Amino acid sequence: MKKTMDKSYDCIVIGAGNGGLAAAVRVLQGNHSCLVLEKHNLPGGFATSFKRGRFEFEASLHELNDFGSKENPGDIRTLFRSLGVEDKIDWIQITEAYHMITKDGKYDVVMPFGVEEYKAKMIQYVPKSKKSINQFFELAKEVVDAQTYSNSVNGNTDKKYMIKNYPNFIKAGSYSVNEVLKAIKMPQEAIDILNAYWCYLGVDCDRMSFLHYASMVYRYITKQAWMPTMKSHEISLAFETRIRELGGDIWYNSEVKKILTDEKRKIIGVELSNGTTIKTNHIIANCSPHVVYGQLLDKKAVLESDIRATNSRTFAGRGVCMYLGLNKSADELGIKSHNYFIYDTADTVKQYNLMKNIKTNNVQATVCLNRADPNCSPKGTTMMYFTTMIMSDDWGNVKEKDYFKEKDKFAAQMIDTFEKVTGCNIKDSIEEIAFATPTTYARYCGHPEGGIYGYETADWDALMPRMMMMKQDYTFPGLRFCGGFAMRSSGYSSAYVSGDISGRQTVGDINREGK
Amino acid sequence: MKFKKSIFGFIDMIRFSKITDVRAKHLAQGSNKPLPKTYRTNELAKELHPGYMKVELIDIKKLTPTMKEFTFKRVDHNKFPFFKAGQYVSLQAKIGESLVSRPYSIASSPHEAFKNILKLGIQKEGYFSTYMCEKAKIGDTFIMSEPTGEFKFESLRDHHHIVCVAGGSGITPFISMGNALIDKDEDYEMTLIYGVKNISLIAYKDTLEKFKKYGINVVLVLSDEEKEGYEHGFINAKLLEKYVDIHNVTFFMCGPEIMYQFVKKELAPYDLPIKAIHQDASCCPDLDIKNPKIYKLTVKMQDQVYVIDAKENETLLVSMERAGINAPNKCRAGGCGWCNSICIKGEYLVAQNRDKRRAADIKFNHIHPCITYPKSDMEIEVPLAY
Repeated sequence: MKKTMDKSYDCIVIGAGNGGLAAAVRVLQGNHSCLVLEKHNLPGGFATSFKRGRFEFEASLHELNDFGSKENPGDIRTLFRSLGVEDKIDWIQITEAYHMITKDGKYDVVMPFGVEEYKAKMIQYVPKSKKSINQFFELAKEVVDAQTYSNSVNGNTDKKYMIKNYPNFIKAGSYSVNEVLKAIKMPQEAIDILNAYWCYLGVDCDRMSFLHYASMVYRYITKQAWMPTMKSHEISLAFETRIRELGGDIWYNSEVKKILTDEKRKIIGVELSNGTTIKTNHIIANCSPHVVYGQLLDKKAVLESDIRATNSRTFAGRGVCMYLGLNKSADELGIKSHNYFIYDTADTVKQYNLMKNIKTNNVQATVCLNRADPNCSPKGTTMMYFTTMIMSDDWGNVKEKDYFKEKDKFAAQMIDTFEKVTGCNIKDSIEEIAFATPTTYARYCGHPEGGIYGYETADWDALMPRMMMMKQDYTFPGLRFCGGFAMRSSGYSSAYVSGDISGRQTVGDINREGK
Repeated sequence: MKFKKSIFGFIDMIRFSKITDVRAKHLAQGSNKPLPKTYRTNELAKELHPGYMKVELIDIKKLTPTMKEFTFKRVDHNKFPFFKAGQYVSLQAKIGESLVSRPYSIASSPHEAFKNILKLGIQKEGYFSTYMCEKAKIGDTFIMSEPTGEFKFESLRDHHHIVCVAGGSGITPFISMGNALIDKDEDYEMTLIYGVKNISLIAYKDTLEKFKKYGINVVLVLSDEEKEGYEHGFINAKLLEKYVDIHNVTFFMCGPEIMYQFVKKELAPYDLPIKAIHQDASCCPDLDIKNPKIYKLTVKMQDQVYVIDAKENETLLVSMERAGINAPNKCRAGGCGWCNSICIKGEYLVAQNRDKRRAADIKFNHIHPCITYPKSDMEIEVPLAY
């Protein structure tokens, strides 16, 4: 017995990643019908988990930024509240900011959350940094306040109001992290320690916008970091559940091959890889403009200006992550911290360049999840994940016949680095190992070159001008973007926000059409 | 504080006022050459992970009176994906009204994949395997999943010396692992302990002779027959001690459930860590229930709704296959997660010791139909396989 339901949708979301899921909830909350199409068999994109033996590994989330407590919520908790997913997830708080070690032996520092605690620790490490670290936090607060104001008026800021209330935001706004920190005469050692979070944004501090970095650091230090107890998969399934509650549909194993348009460049639907077509006039793409303009849309429908704009942008880091399930406790192994940043050098420009080559890439952002959540793995075991990015297409040189050997080599290199800088022996306790390469990310999410960070938010393509140009960047009627390649750039929090923005904008687009 | 970088703060302000113009200029100055249709890393991902493949049966060879080897080539591409020796594929065929799949360990070597060759050794037992052994003929086409599975050597986890314990048709992954060693795709010392009832049931005799020449230690164990040059009985601790240093090897086991239980019991006194013993997954069987009830199972799949019968002693997956529904599945043992579906309504039972769902899956009532039996009428949402 078989029944067929013919359906068309007000909006189709391509990709059930963090951005796509948030966007779908917004469209549904706006009382429009919505179908999410996902090529994999699960929601979340990078936000997922996987099992190996008695371990359930977190696939990608290190810590959620700008979440905050129930009583003192950050922007992301507030967003989750408004999307109706906050209470579907059990949260745990992470209590230590980071532990930075450099292989050159210069740094082995542990930094706490909380502005006063952070400042005190910095002054302890670098006594001469007192004035500049205070100034940094003052500046950072103004940056965040200005952003809050900007969000409250949907980006349509009043120039005079900005100049009057946020003059430092504007004056620092066109400069890089290092330019600003040098202007406030922060000692180099303090700059090095403060810049440790740089790999979370994936751009060296000579090219990374100060506004972007300061805002992130401030949100981490003031709101601390949070995690779902059941790994990021819990967030993704909470969104999935919410979408179904609101009457939305999600189809898995359903890869969009074409976005269909009429001769007037009007979107009329999508075609799946098995030939199924579904009608819609509005698409939110949780994938890259490179894929949408280069592969999904008919050549004739794409403007030359969009080809040029897309070509002008630079892919950010390609992902690499090793997962280890160890058969000893973190205490037995001597692993002290939750969140390690391990670098060759604190010089971010030098480090960025070393990350272009697989052989010289020794960077790792390493998480020992048991230090945040002792129950994340069975008693007497430890779960760790080690992430780096390749800042070029070097992984593209790997041939199929060498694939598994190259993975093993890279994994051995990562283990070796961690053991050397921490003095812990982990190699003998490996019960489970998994290794994700750019090929893995390309497989599951389809991003060009296996990128995990969208386009580089460097120099001219920084976060601020992207946000200020949302109107100009809306060049294809009915087509909006969310996720790591969109206006808010990459990272969990940013992806949710981009989905929120594009979802609400699409509701506006549909409503305007209705009139 | 009053921040300024330039000597005059207003220059900083002017700079800021131009950041959008600067970006607009850069965007406009991008190249107008066509955007890439693909990228090297994405191509490699496609080669390694093509998803479902269309294959043709090109050769059938008798291995033993009850076991045959089937050779396939891909008809949608000129090669199979490179894989790790020990992995399996899921083979699907339409038998009558049913759309049935089964996982089989790959017997051919990873290197043969590049020559568009993939071989499976299939024992005549059960519904699908009997169909393969009795009905399948050269020229038949099938749908096959890409190679997958966690039963494989990991150089950073396992001892250099691996002990492969095979029972009956469980020999197949080790044929691949031995050949991978000879091809230098893997690097380990290998001891193969292969148990069968009698000498006529030894599969891959020539290959085993070849293995010996390449330094693989092959031990044949006959349970029902005594013969010179062969061990007799079961694969017990005494026998293992004779050939390997039990504390300094990693075990890989593939065979019937009863063999796993027996060998693990034999190894228990050695107190080996969990990581020392890997065992291949086995398909989730029917429950032993007399006069099983029949429930109504509503399956939502994309924009289709199917209402079918589901027996309480059969998994939801089997019920869907009987009805010809193209439901995704690979391992059929509860572990791979490929059949992940949502339970909308109804009660169910998860097969004992097989529940490998993630914590959040359980919280949000996601199920693995390959190990789930209905306990009432049910409504589930299942992704389309392809």
